[in-house]
Amino acid sequence: MKNLLKVALGVVTGIGGFLDAGTIATCAQAGALFGFRLLWVVALGTLCIICLSEMVGRLAAVSHHTLAGAIRERFGIRYHAIPIVAEVFLDVIVLSAEIGGVAIALQLLTGVGFPWWSVPVAAGAWLLLWRGTFDVVEDGVALLGLVTLCFAVAAYKTHPPLREMLTGLLPSLPPQKPAQYWFIAVSMMGSLICPYVLNFYSSGAVEEEWTEADLGANRMAAGLGMSFGGGLSAALLVAAAMVLHPKGIDGNTYEEIRLTVSIPLGQTGATLFAVALGVTCFGAALQVALNLSYTLAQAFGWNWSENLEPADDARFATTYTIAILVAAIVVAIGFDPLKVTMLAMAFNAVVAPLLVLPLLILMNDQDYLGAHTNGWFSNTVVAFCTLLAFVMGIVAIPLQFMGGT
Amino acid sequence: MHLVRDLLDNQVCDARNRKMGKVDGIVLVLREGRPPRVAAIELGMSTLLCRISERLARFAARLERRWGISDGEPVRIPMARIKRVGPDVRAEIDADATTVYDWERWLDRVLIERIPIRGGGTGEPEGERK
Repeated sequence: MKNLLKVALGVVTGIGGFLDAGTIATCAQAGALFGFRLLWVVALGTLCIICLSEMVGRLAAVSHHTLAGAIRERFGIRYHAIPIVAEVFLDVIVLSAEIGGVAIALQLLTGVGFPWWSVPVAAGAWLLLWRGTFDVVEDGVALLGLVTLCFAVAAYKTHPPLREMLTGLLPSLPPQKPAQYWFIAVSMMGSLICPYVLNFYSSGAVEEEWTEADLGANRMAAGLGMSFGGGLSAALLVAAAMVLHPKGIDGNTYEEIRLTVSIPLGQTGATLFAVALGVTCFGAALQVALNLSYTLAQAFGWNWSENLEPADDARFATTYTIAILVAAIVVAIGFDPLKVTMLAMAFNAVVAPLLVLPLLILMNDQDYLGAHTNGWFSNTVVAFCTLLAFVMGIVAIPLQFMGGT
Repeated sequence: MHLVRDLLDNQVCDARNRKMGKVDGIVLVLREGRPPRVAAIELGMSTLLCRISERLARFAARLERRWGISDGEPVRIPMARIKRVGPDVRAEIDADATTVYDWERWLDRVLIERIPIRGGGTGEPEGERK
């Protein structure tokens, strides 16, 4: 019964926690610009994140070590310094994108410009981390994230043609704008296999004291939760393909992306979109800020836990406090949150291999995994992910200049 | 024991299972005509940074002294007090009796304590969580 609850919670977390500013922006733009052609990226990215989540969860459950901690231990500080610096930089940009997403959602609901919302949103996020526990952060926001089911309803209401959707699951080049096509594909992959998700997932497993008895629940939660999350991302792409693409709307602003839900569902849809954007970005902001603290604490061996009082892990609490402050300043200055998001997603693709390759080696280390090391299937999938992430990293930056928003 | 694999960079916990830091350095004693002996492990920012850049390590130690955070010296734990090696290194000492929490205490004093909102958490002692 306890395991069933854990799986159910994992699935809900997968649904609510999967989507964020990155997935909403990239999937909506993909549908708006290229119809169903980029559905294959959602399918592939979802398969990748299912495998990766299951692995980091298994690593934590069996060894009680997180991804960041294990990388420092096995690869040493001279290697680990590179992903640490990259992740700190990346997490602050992603955090700005998420706080910006909440601020835009409030702008859509109230009409008050988004820079004005940056400080209240950041203060709210900080207060929740300061006062709350891990369960509050993970489960509370994930439950609210169920509002993203409106994307599935919107897609259903547009009556998309099944045959064309299935064709979109096979990679095909568009007749025009190939550079932009690949840039969006890269950004989508970056949003689907965010590095922060990997370490946050393994840290959560250690926070909740998973053991080998939880391996089945981990497999189910990663598989079902991420599948549902990927399904909602696909639904958003489909709705954008049906609503925005025929009208020639590019989805270059959140106001345009809102039409994806507001046209099929009316005024209620417009409100639901803003709420979904705000809730998912707020949840992601909490996760990214916490992940920054987790990453540094685990790399340097500090005390860490969201369940401890700030006075008991002062370095941990100071890290997320400073990160939220910096991100709030970036948004308050008035940087376009959508542009920051697209940039952050491209950087995700660059940083991912720095973490995925060591993960592959760790998952075959019997000192950590004992009898639960990867089988050939897991190894093949992760090797493929690593290669894919590496290629993405190589092409992401040039494409940013050739075809970026 | 493989020093780099089983000791260097691994998590160190004290006798009460509290996280002290990572093994940032290993102290070897060179002996005439005999193999070197592992004398101690070191924990501290200056030791860690020394592996990346000695200049950076000197800068960090100076900063720690100037800001009154610590004396800039690493914590050295003799091998005789190390009871287990591997992914987790167990030291039979009391972390509070060392300077490993100097940064923690300093941040608590200059920032955390000054925030008027009381922080949340279950307040479970670190050593009893696992």
